[in-house]
Amino acid sequence: MSSRTYLLERDERTATQFAALHPTMLRSHRDIVDALPTATNQDTWIIPRNDLARELVKATAGQSRRFGRLLLLDQTPLQSVPPLLRYFQPVVFAATPCAFLPPEELACVLQSPDRQFLFIGGSVDHKSRTCTLWRGDLSSIVVPFDAFPAAGDGTRPDFQDFSVTDYGQTLRFGRYEAATEAVLYEYDPDYRRHLKARRRAEDTGFGPSLRRLRKQRGLRRSDFAPLSAKTIARLERGEVEKPHGDTLAIIAKKLRVKPDEIEMY
Amino acid sequence: MAFELALPDQLRKQGWKIKIRERERLEPPHLTIMRRERSWRLGLRDGQFLDDEPDPGNVPRELLELIEEHWQTLCDAWDAKYPNNPVKQKDDEDEQQDIPS
Repeated sequence: MSSRTYLLERDERTATQFAALHPTMLRSHRDIVDALPTATNQDTWIIPRNDLARELVKATAGQSRRFGRLLLLDQTPLQSVPPLLRYFQPVVFAATPCAFLPPEELACVLQSPDRQFLFIGGSVDHKSRTCTLWRGDLSSIVVPFDAFPAAGDGTRPDFQDFSVTDYGQTLRFGRYEAATEAVLYEYDPDYRRHLKARRRAEDTGFGPSLRRLRKQRGLRRSDFAPLSAKTIARLERGEVEKPHGDTLAIIAKKLRVKPDEIEMY
Repeated sequence: MAFELALPDQLRKQGWKIKIRERERLEPPHLTIMRRERSWRLGLRDGQFLDDEPDPGNVPRELLELIEEHWQTLCDAWDAKYPNNPVKQKDDEDEQQDIPS
C-alpha cells in the first residue's frame, strides 16, 4: 500500500499551498477519528496550526499503535509533544516561530527524490550553541555554531535571525548564508557518499579527495611534517600511488579523519 | 551578505538564482546556480560544471552567457569571501607557495 499524506487544516487557502502533496484533508476532530483506522506507520501527517494538533492529541489518546510521521509547523507547546511521540515517529516541531520553509517550498522538498539532502527547517539553541536542522525525510542533524565561521569579507552569522530558504538549499542567519551542501559535506557521511557518485571522473580518487579536504581544513601542503610539501603535491596530482601505513596515518591525523575516510571527501 | 547576481526578469521569474554564499564547500572555488530544489556548481577556475548531476544541459544558455559576461565580478565575489582559497591560485602556484625556496 502506498503511503498517504494527511493535512490537518481548516483553511482552504492554506490547504491549497500544500496541493502538490495531494493530501487527504482532515478539517475536524471527527475527520481525524475517521482517518485513524486506515492510517499506517508509513503515512505523513502535517499540521500547520496548533488547534488541530490538540484535536490529534485527543483523537489518538488510548490508541495502541503508531500512525506514521508528524510535522507540526506552528510553534508547538512542549506539553503537546510527549503524547504525540507515543503515536508518531518522528515528531518534527518548531521550537521558534517561522522556522520552516514556506508551504509551497516545503511541499516541493517533501516530495523531492533528494529530500534527505535538503533542509525543511530547524531551530537554534543558544545555550548549547547548536542548530538542530530538519531534513526533507524528517530526520535531523545537529551542528555546532562553529560550523558557520565568519566569511572573508567579515560577514558573521546572526543566530537570532534564522531561517531556511532557497527550497532547503540555504541556511540564513541574518545577512549570512550557508549552503546546505557545505554543512552536510562536513557532518553527514551519507551525503559524502552521494556526492562521490555524482562527481566528475577526473575528480575522484585519493588525490583530489586529499586536496579538497586539505583546503576545507585550511591546511597548507607544508603542514604535513614529516612528509614534505612536494610529497603531498604529488599525491594530490595522482603522480604517486595512494599511500599506506604510517604515511596514510600521518595525513589522516592532520586532516582529523580516519584513514579510510579521506576518499569520501 | 551572500553575493547574488542580478538576473533579467524572465530568468528570475522562472526561479533561477546565481549565488556565492558565506559558507560554501571550499574546493574548488565555484558559483551555485539554483532553481527550486535543484542546484548546479560551476567551477570558477575552469568554467566547467563540477558535477554530472543534475544535468548541466538543463541550465539555459542565456544564464551561462550572463555568467560569462560577469565572470570577473563572480571571481572577485568568491575571492572576497574566501581569501585563503582564491580563484587564481593554480596548482603550481599553490605548490610554490607551500614549498620554501
